[in-house]
Amino acid sequence: MGRNGQRGFVAQSHMVGTAPPLLEREEALAALTEALASALGGEGRVALVYGEAGIGKTTVVRAFARASRGTARVLWGACDPLFTPRPFGPLYDLAREAGSTVLLEVEREDDRTAQLASLLDLLGETPTVGVVEDAHWADEASLDALRYLARRIERVPCLLVVTYRDDEVGAEHPLRLLLGAIPSGVARRIELGPLSDRAVRELASAAGRDATGLYERTRGNPFYVTEVLAASGSGLPATVRDAVLARALGLGNEARAVLDLASVVPGQVERWLLDEVLGSASAGANVCVERGMLVPGPGGLAFRHELARQAILEALGPERRAANHRAVLHTLEARPDRDSLLPRLAHHAEAAGDAGAVVRYAPLAAARAAAVGSHREAAALYELALRYADEAGDDVRVALVEAYAHVAHLTGRLDEAIAARREAIELSRRLGDPLREGENLARLTMPFIGAGRNAEAEEAGRQAIAVLEELPPGRELAVAYAFQAYLRMLSRDNADGVAWGERARSLAEEVGDVDTLAMALNMIGTSHVMAGEIEPGCEYLERSLALALEHGLTPRVASAYGMLASGLGEMYEFDRAERWIREYLRFGGERDLDVSYITSWLAAVHVYRGRWDEGAELAQQLLAGDAGPLARITALVALGRVRARRGDPGAEEALDEALELSRPGGHLQRLGHVLAARAEAAWLAGDRERALAEARAAYPLALEKRHLWFAGELAYWQWRCGRLESAPGWIAEPYRLQLAGDALGAARAWATRGCPYERARALAESENTEARLEAVGALDELGAAPLARQLRGHLRALRVRVPRGPRPSTRDNAAGLTRRELEVLALVAEGLRNAEIADWLVVSRRTVDHHVSAILRKLGAHTRGEAAAEAARLGLLENR
Amino acid sequence: MDTYVIVRRNGWRTGADLEEAARRSTVEGERMPDDVAWIRSYVLEERDGSVGTICVYQASSPEAIRAHAEAARLPVDEIVKVAGTVLVRPDPVPATG
Repeated sequence: MGRNGQRGFVAQSHMVGTAPPLLEREEALAALTEALASALGGEGRVALVYGEAGIGKTTVVRAFARASRGTARVLWGACDPLFTPRPFGPLYDLAREAGSTVLLEVEREDDRTAQLASLLDLLGETPTVGVVEDAHWADEASLDALRYLARRIERVPCLLVVTYRDDEVGAEHPLRLLLGAIPSGVARRIELGPLSDRAVRELASAAGRDATGLYERTRGNPFYVTEVLAASGSGLPATVRDAVLARALGLGNEARAVLDLASVVPGQVERWLLDEVLGSASAGANVCVERGMLVPGPGGLAFRHELARQAILEALGPERRAANHRAVLHTLEARPDRDSLLPRLAHHAEAAGDAGAVVRYAPLAAARAAAVGSHREAAALYELALRYADEAGDDVRVALVEAYAHVAHLTGRLDEAIAARREAIELSRRLGDPLREGENLARLTMPFIGAGRNAEAEEAGRQAIAVLEELPPGRELAVAYAFQAYLRMLSRDNADGVAWGERARSLAEEVGDVDTLAMALNMIGTSHVMAGEIEPGCEYLERSLALALEHGLTPRVASAYGMLASGLGEMYEFDRAERWIREYLRFGGERDLDVSYITSWLAAVHVYRGRWDEGAELAQQLLAGDAGPLARITALVALGRVRARRGDPGAEEALDEALELSRPGGHLQRLGHVLAARAEAAWLAGDRERALAEARAAYPLALEKRHLWFAGELAYWQWRCGRLESAPGWIAEPYRLQLAGDALGAARAWATRGCPYERARALAESENTEARLEAVGALDELGAAPLARQLRGHLRALRVRVPRGPRPSTRDNAAGLTRRELEVLALVAEGLRNAEIADWLVVSRRTVDHHVSAILRKLGAHTRGEAAAEAARLGLLENR
Repeated sequence: MDTYVIVRRNGWRTGADLEEAARRSTVEGERMPDDVAWIRSYVLEERDGSVGTICVYQASSPEAIRAHAEAARLPVDEIVKVAGTVLVRPDPVPATG
């Protein structure tokens, strides 16, 4: 909807009791009403109502809410402009309005998923309009929660209305992530534009005022217009601020004192707070309400608009402002429920410039925010506390920098995390606390690895152990051992990974540190898997998983799933890898975790198992999104392999980017993949010299780390180039057989692993004509043009008659459905909805919509039921 | 979108088969306008009496071309990316149709 199409405005209640005239917002209201109708029909929607400050978002939503009262329950939640907003603030509001306590017990991030599921149930138990105002101020946990709800809203009779100032939401604003994550079929975008000249004149005439210059001055901003019209005096105020101040001019001292105090309190100011600070202030407050400057709400009084609060606040002057903040701070501090007021305490402490109070409350507010997943707000609060902690002792400061380092790492601020850990190390030394120094050194390895600074990570890990081994063994040393195991695992020094992991495990068990124990078991298991010791490796990883699940350690659960999925993938154990990938996607999907890396592994597994269309589609889906470098590398390798094997253009570009991205870490687990794929692509393109160079670039590292599969494939490409000097006997079986000339044995080994392309490639290397003809058929089936062409050439040279490649018509079924369409049809026939099919096949909703409409069209069906019946009639789903 | 040449040798037994395929190609192409745009094709007189084509497409990726071909049941022998165009004179007026 464009700005021009929908002008409108509800003139505000500056005269209490008068019903405001509704002007020029018909289209916005109609869009909201239509979205509500969908929601009432059982398909929830998210309406995004946006425009600049003062444009009338709240007014429109209130008018809509009034009109909907008969048909739906209306719940309100608001985000406030505190220094850091209340974690979960607007969601608490919604739940409280519904009379529910579902969110009250959120103390830990792991509780959140269950609570959000309850919140979704709550919103869906009866037709509901849930309003979240001013989302541009929302905290991270609230945004995560809104994303969770938006992705699932389609199942419940709820319209979620989210308002925000679009001009304050830049490309990097966290709200953008939410906006991008709302499924396109669910979102309704409603932009509010300025009033027309005509509407402004109409309002002026209704107020009995002269409209000259009013439209030009206010540019049609409804809030500005109303303030000007409500102000006494005849001049035209030059700014919104002037208009608000002009309106406040006529207030008596008592009322003005109320207004001034209220201006330092974002959101609503409670009556008890006014009374406590100003004595009996009710009289003044009532005047403000009568004049329309303050509006009563469920929790107290609020300015009619945030712009008005800002205007009064700025006019206060720095000293009066600080004094008011101080007065509010002291009143709140004396409350028995002050633990629930931490974000407000931190806000007023900062604004009052009270260093002691900042250092007292900001860290508590930060810890609370971090606990429920508002890491960004937590980081801001720790930064605030640190700014005021100069006077505080080293012992106070060290705890602050440690906590800050943790949340900075979680929010991806690696440089800040590194700097904070270094300061913590320095402070611990000054305090003569080597245990603390050692643990900080150990934890410093993580941000270093994240930043690709491996050498510094190794150095920190070494120092941690050196410092801690001087002392009696304890929890800190277990942590240091676990991080050492992590470093060794990453480098694929598998025996060392197991050894350090075992030390961490026994010490963590001894001191009862469950988190470190889960990490140690994970590292031992992963190192075993990487050494090719699949069974014991899986056993350790599954123990780590069970332990983490039992204790609600979500990051450790995710890590165990992730290692089982990607580790088994790296070891060509595709059946099991795929099972764990799906488990992880289910677990992560329920919790809105970032699943892009594991999804990239699913793309790779698809490719190795010969499902090239699926693999390439999934890889491209990931590459089009904002996946991190590790997911990109894996997706690019999958896509590059498919293109190379098909002889399609673009393989080189994909694999160039993959190489570029794997250089900073320089680890074998990336380079092995990427260089093997590059060797394959070069060889298929007929460039043997480059194939050889790519294979040799990572071969020594693969040998050093005894990586069965990377060493195997890299040796294989050198062998295919006729230039392999030597290969050890321990490389992965299929490659070992191939290098030994047992092509048929190798083909059987590849078949066992479910790798049709590798199997056909092995058959093609055989001397047996039957086998080579079978290879031609298999390669044609896969669409592996370059290898098929090459093999045909060899066979023709031997005067073997080779059948032509298949034409698509030979693969036809009665309705002309493609293989993928048949797969989707089977799921449709099982009664799955498109969203569920998309989840199952791990493709986008759009892709499934596309397939389903193609199926309906080809079958001449109007409904999914008809399609299923037609499929049964034609026998399309038999023999699948 | 990049420009690609798609080689479909010996794709159809007769010109009528090809016409049928061209209809499917148009229908499927209209369903994915953001991913493929069919520019033009040259019909090849193959030695065995069958018909092939060389097609010029714009597409978002080689995979999009394959998805389109799969949906419209068109053969694909080779996809080549076009690096540049040298236009000497316009295409001759088609001999038939």
